[in-house]
Amino acid sequence: MKWMQFFTPVASINWEEANQLVADHPAGDVLFLDVRQPKEYAAGHLPGAKLLPLGDLDSRLGELAQEKPIVIY
Amino acid sequence: MLAGKGFQKVYNLSGGIKAWGKEVARGPEDVGLHLFAEAASGEEAVIIGFGLEMGLRDFYLTMQRRVVREATKSLFGKLADIEIRHQEQLVQLYEELTGRRLSVTDFAAKIAEPAMEGGLTTEEYLQLYKTDLDSESEVLSLALAIEAQALDLYLRAAEKSTDAGSEQVLRRIAAEERSHIAMLSNYIEHQQDLA
Repeated sequence: MKWMQFFTPVASINWEEANQLVADHPAGDVLFLDVRQPKEYAAGHLPGAKLLPLGDLDSRLGELAQEKPIVIY
Repeated sequence: MLAGKGFQKVYNLSGGIKAWGKEVARGPEDVGLHLFAEAASGEEAVIIGFGLEMGLRDFYLTMQRRVVREATKSLFGKLADIEIRHQEQLVQLYEELTGRRLSVTDFAAKIAEPAMEGGLTTEEYLQLYKTDLDSESEVLSLALAIEAQALDLYLRAAEKSTDAGSEQVLRRIAAEERSHIAMLSNYIEHQQDLA
């Protein structure tokens, strides 16, 4: 059983730190991932954010680059 | 989930989108991307980007004619002028990519206009937003919303792009849109300071 996935800690950052992360990386490197539902995304999302609803995340991991920073909201 | 599957730099955003506090983009994930469906090269991305900027400028000029207050008219004029600068930058980028030197007017008439078809007219766009055009704060909010939409569109198009040159151009335009948003945000803050 791949138990690690249930316990791996993920860092929390605020918007200021997220903006700094973008500034510290080449353009397009940092991905903002919107894991809400499509209707919520349509009602308002961060410009450029990729929509990948939480329920689909497991089956669509291939769409994400493992080595690049991902900021999830 | 991601951190346990080989993703090394994953961050949760505390407060989520509600803590963002700035303009958000609206609409589904694929909205507007058809515009870039044909953007197989950086050159084509520039042409389509220029077309969008022409639309934005037309939008601001139309609103400038419709509003009554002089201060609001002046504001729309400034926003329209910003789009001219953006168009000039795109024409410069076109020259860098192709070696062809054209004026903004010639680029618009000979290259961008023939390439653009479909999309919303300014009137149709206005109908989407029920804005009080005489309220400066509403006007600024609308301008921010539009610029956020443009930024969102360029970034998503860059993300979907399969051509490196096209992606680079789209990200460069997106960076410009980001600076427009910063300019508008500063202006709004300045207005609030004066109030």
